[in-house]
Amino acid sequence: MKYEIDPEMPESLVRRDFIKKLSAASTAAWMAGAPQLVAGKGLEHPEAKADACIVLWLAGGMAAPETFDPKRYAPFKKGMEVKSVLSTFPSKPTVVDGINFCEGLQKIGSVMDRGTIIRSAVQPDLGSILHSRHQYHWHTGYVPPQTVACPHLGSWMTRVLGPQNDVMPPFINIGQRLEGVGEKEELKAFTTAGFFGSAYGPMNLPFPEEAAKSVRPPEGMTANRFANRDKLFRGLVENNPHREYASDHQQESLLRSMDNAYRLLSSEEREAFDITKEPEEVQKTYDTGRFGRGCLLARRLVENGARYVEVTTEYVPFFQWDTHNDGHTTVDRLHDEIDTPIAQLVLDLEERGLLDRTLVVVASEFSRDALMEGKPGSNANDQSRTRGDTMEELKAYGLHRHFTGGTSVLMFGGGVKKGSVYGKTADERPLIAVENPVSVTDMHATIMTAMGVSPKTEYLVEGRPFYVTEDGKGKAVEEVFS
Amino acid sequence: MKFFQRYILLVFCVLRPMLAGAEVDFVHQVVPVLREHCLECHGEDEAKGGFSMNTRELFLEDEMATPGNSAKSEFLFLVEETDPEYQMPPEKKKRVPKEQVELLKKWIDEGMPWTAGFTFAKDKYEPPLKPRRPELPEITDGRENPVDRLIDAYFAENKIERPLSVSDEVFLRRVSLDLIGLLPAPDEIRAFLADPSPDKRTRKIEELLGDEVRYTEHWLSFWNDLLRNDYAGTGFITKGRTQISAWLYEALLENKPFNEFASELIAPPSLASSGYINGIKWRGEVSAGQTLDIQFAQSISQSFLGINMKCASCHDSFIDRWKLKDAYGLAAIYSETAIEIHRCDKPVGETAKAAWLFPELGEINGAAPKEERLKQLAGLMTHPENGRFTRTLANRLWAQMMGRGIVHPLDAMQTEPWNEDLLDFLASDFQVNGYDIKNVLRLITSSEIYQAKTLSVEGEPDSKYTFKGPAARRLTSEQFTDAVWQVSGSAPAAFDAPVSRGIVEPKEIEKLKLDPVWVWAALAEGNTASPAGEKVVFRREVSVKKKIRSAGIVATGDNQMELYLNGKSLAKSSVWTDLSEVSVTKNLREGVNRIIVIAQNGGDAPNAAGLFVALRMVFEDGTEEVVSTGPDWKVSRKVPGNTNVSKWDLKKMEWESPVPVYVSPWGDSLNSKVGRSLIRASKYTNAMVRASLLKSDFLMRSLGRPNRDQIVSSRPSELTTLEAVDLSNSQALADNFKKGATLFDGESAIENLYLATLTRKPTEREQKLIREALGESPDPEGKADLLWSIFMSPEFFFVR
Repeated sequence: MKYEIDPEMPESLVRRDFIKKLSAASTAAWMAGAPQLVAGKGLEHPEAKADACIVLWLAGGMAAPETFDPKRYAPFKKGMEVKSVLSTFPSKPTVVDGINFCEGLQKIGSVMDRGTIIRSAVQPDLGSILHSRHQYHWHTGYVPPQTVACPHLGSWMTRVLGPQNDVMPPFINIGQRLEGVGEKEELKAFTTAGFFGSAYGPMNLPFPEEAAKSVRPPEGMTANRFANRDKLFRGLVENNPHREYASDHQQESLLRSMDNAYRLLSSEEREAFDITKEPEEVQKTYDTGRFGRGCLLARRLVENGARYVEVTTEYVPFFQWDTHNDGHTTVDRLHDEIDTPIAQLVLDLEERGLLDRTLVVVASEFSRDALMEGKPGSNANDQSRTRGDTMEELKAYGLHRHFTGGTSVLMFGGGVKKGSVYGKTADERPLIAVENPVSVTDMHATIMTAMGVSPKTEYLVEGRPFYVTEDGKGKAVEEVFS
Repeated sequence: MKFFQRYILLVFCVLRPMLAGAEVDFVHQVVPVLREHCLECHGEDEAKGGFSMNTRELFLEDEMATPGNSAKSEFLFLVEETDPEYQMPPEKKKRVPKEQVELLKKWIDEGMPWTAGFTFAKDKYEPPLKPRRPELPEITDGRENPVDRLIDAYFAENKIERPLSVSDEVFLRRVSLDLIGLLPAPDEIRAFLADPSPDKRTRKIEELLGDEVRYTEHWLSFWNDLLRNDYAGTGFITKGRTQISAWLYEALLENKPFNEFASELIAPPSLASSGYINGIKWRGEVSAGQTLDIQFAQSISQSFLGINMKCASCHDSFIDRWKLKDAYGLAAIYSETAIEIHRCDKPVGETAKAAWLFPELGEINGAAPKEERLKQLAGLMTHPENGRFTRTLANRLWAQMMGRGIVHPLDAMQTEPWNEDLLDFLASDFQVNGYDIKNVLRLITSSEIYQAKTLSVEGEPDSKYTFKGPAARRLTSEQFTDAVWQVSGSAPAAFDAPVSRGIVEPKEIEKLKLDPVWVWAALAEGNTASPAGEKVVFRREVSVKKKIRSAGIVATGDNQMELYLNGKSLAKSSVWTDLSEVSVTKNLREGVNRIIVIAQNGGDAPNAAGLFVALRMVFEDGTEEVVSTGPDWKVSRKVPGNTNVSKWDLKKMEWESPVPVYVSPWGDSLNSKVGRSLIRASKYTNAMVRASLLKSDFLMRSLGRPNRDQIVSSRPSELTTLEAVDLSNSQALADNFKKGATLFDGESAIENLYLATLTRKPTEREQKLIREALGESPDPEGKADLLWSIFMSPEFFFVR
């Protein structure tokens, strides 16, 4: 039996300077491992209209008739019939002729000349409404459950396009806690890179005001000590007597990741995570709540080269947009929370010359209605907490049922038309899309096309093709692009 | 109303694009047509007239097809030809229907898209089903282990040099991480290195395999992945999923033979193991490919047979031989009702018949009730002639220990192994030895090849894989987390898995014949209950004459008690219903041991007071002894003020005999638990709470612990940047290292730190470097930073 004697390795092996090799860390740094891109015959990526994407996610089911698609306004009267209510806000004109929003969204209205509104987004009826299931669908393009873990939209972009800036994490998810909230496991199921592996997963920043912490050394560690710790680490790695064991490939990948982490935690870019670096007035403008602060953070991150940033009005069952009762009052407050930051984000990006190459999408998993659950013909259970045919108190005034037949999506920048409308919903109940319906699959295709990714892009997973849009069938809505 | 319907129709049409406008889908539309009409003669192994459609390249030969131009595609001309001389398919065969011809034309005009890598060619390799016991090659160089005999022959044949054996340090770290998932402790390392006996590696393997709790809590993660069991996850919210945790834990603890293990999962004898086949039910409607019935088909195929039935759940698989009917046949075994076969979510007008994949071993009786059908399936799965079942697990175990399967990927068992004899030997040996999983692990770990140096390879090897030796593996999320806790002493006390950390069989409880007796100091004359707040001391000497294998104590007091064994506080209870349970294997010594209990009554008026203690000792010779509270104990009404009980002068205290106390609530509520608890305590090895027992947290997920919504059979092999960011600035981790730094003190602090993490001593060069960076005697911050630096190094991160 041959035993290896305690190995003090030859100098040549020990001294190989790995760190030097690492300085060439590049796109590949964020990229490692399995599923292989299928270099499909005839797969041509469209020319990218945008380099970055910001999704402003109004989680919980934003009622389009209460926001971007106003319908006949019925002011509150005790005892009013539920069926008489289409919208609880008056309609107000925006800067674009023929586009009206609900009262309370005038600031977004004032920047509509920079964007397009799709009023005919539709969702499938899944038999029973579970927000997280529809959110999973919207974010991955696939309805759960699935036989493989599906990647998030942001992970697809990360996988296919890579980072814009080597130092910045490409995919950043702002405003959603994944622990301590209802349906958290379901949220985790799609807030993931799935089969792409965690290299392409999100950096989660549930609280924008604490984001700076996530790219700082641990508390109590001075910059000096942090640098010394890194020096010690490198020194020990370089002088390690057992470098020959793990494959070079494995070692290099590990060291490269450690190097990237150190670069981020000691880089200038990490300032991007700190919203207090903004002038006070700017902070104040955005500070309508967590969502507003998240929008400011998103702007800073994109300025510094993040690829995909999502900001959400956090999903917590029965809170925020998930109005099972007291809808009018809640949405009134939410108008205030989103109006200024969304408008300001568009203006700020424009001012910095970034809007043309940044696609901003404002969306939600479905709409709401005062009367109808699901869509016409659905078997979905009625989940409203305010029952009865009439509205007897203000709490009952609002759109308390989930509606999947038609909703609005706003898009700004990233090559979309300015001041344009696509699609239409009916003026009377059912408020379904009556012109140019856009499915979730086609919505994905549209977003991906803007980013320069073919909707047919596929990866081989467990030996079978898996597409960026469901079965590769997504078709971009070309009409939204200028 | 009419108005209304029109809109519904409109929405419907858009959501399901009809053929007319949409682009042709090669896999779902073209392949079935070619298969039905052309493949018999022009695909797979056939190429009549020299024409094969197996690949796009072959298809394009001789201008049979011209992408983008259907008019210039010879094969379409033949398909449309009406002259019986020339037409295709030939006379007497069914003609291709018009709409399918149109589809083919459209496909060609759209450029003839073809899924990359797709081929109609049959995989030449078809794995054998039956078990086979290959003849073992000659022993060379005294390498007797059957694995080595096979590998040595393989090496000789492929002219590959044997890798060198590893040192004792490397072996110890590797085998410990592999079998129980933990790093060896410095004392254990020193003892092992100092041991001159030639069989010490074999004994170490036995010791680790015999460490039931640690073994179980390591392998729990592997099985949770493979059986997609977890303590939180999708589905639980609407009660659409149940755990098998308690069952799984006990099955691993008792090393349940794998045929029984699988049978109890496939045909659950009780609710405890039923969560596996019952899958995950989401609220609302799901696609036909993800119903609970289909999930069942997919799960059992993947977990036990290494078959990916996901493709075949939707349409005939393009990557192996499984068909839609096979998936539905399995689904029908599970389904309560008749199920209609759906192809890509559309019904095909056929009802599934219960059937299983290898009818040559036997059939399922579709007319039998579900429970019976499941039993039949379990019987077929574990059939002695089902070599696929044993090969699949043997291959998984090999991959766990060696870094890569003999068949790769693990869930594509139709693939040719790089050494058929090795796989067949492991599988048949597994079966011959009673499906004993530990036996497979023993066989592998005691081989020279397992104990050889890991390979240094650049990237993934290409096309043809040749085995050259074991590969280094990244620590799993759980191994890494456990190591942090182990080195820093910061494991949590509580855990999430609903398991008893120690196996208890009913017959053991029966055998115990424990009749709990509560005792207290006799009542003063005239009293009917003990005074409120009365504090007393109990003692009992226990003479140990034989070597102890394991021992445990259960104890509780009304209202509170603290128990000391040989001067050390080991158990505390402040609520009488809270039965304190502790392993004392390491606290007992040969000779006289002393139990001291300080107990105190509560309340503000006289009330019943009592103490119950039981100690169970299991000796190396298999005999056991139970010592529990009774008149043979001593009690003192005076409690010394000094809390250091080992300093008490017992002779100066006044001792009397306690009296039994009977209060019905005690017995009613505790008696049933005591036996189980005592047995558990006396088996349980004080093992640290493990990451495998906790719900996944942020760091664990980041390090690659999967959301167990799908079956997973391997973990990530690399560290990503986001993980590195988390590891670099995680507050929890920093706090742990800070705590850990305090555990390494004195002259050999650095040496111990190296032993505890890397299972070796630091080199001169390393010591010098550390001295330069942190000074002659590093402060706690310096040691914390050193710990971090070691934990992040490749040498630590890989099982090398």
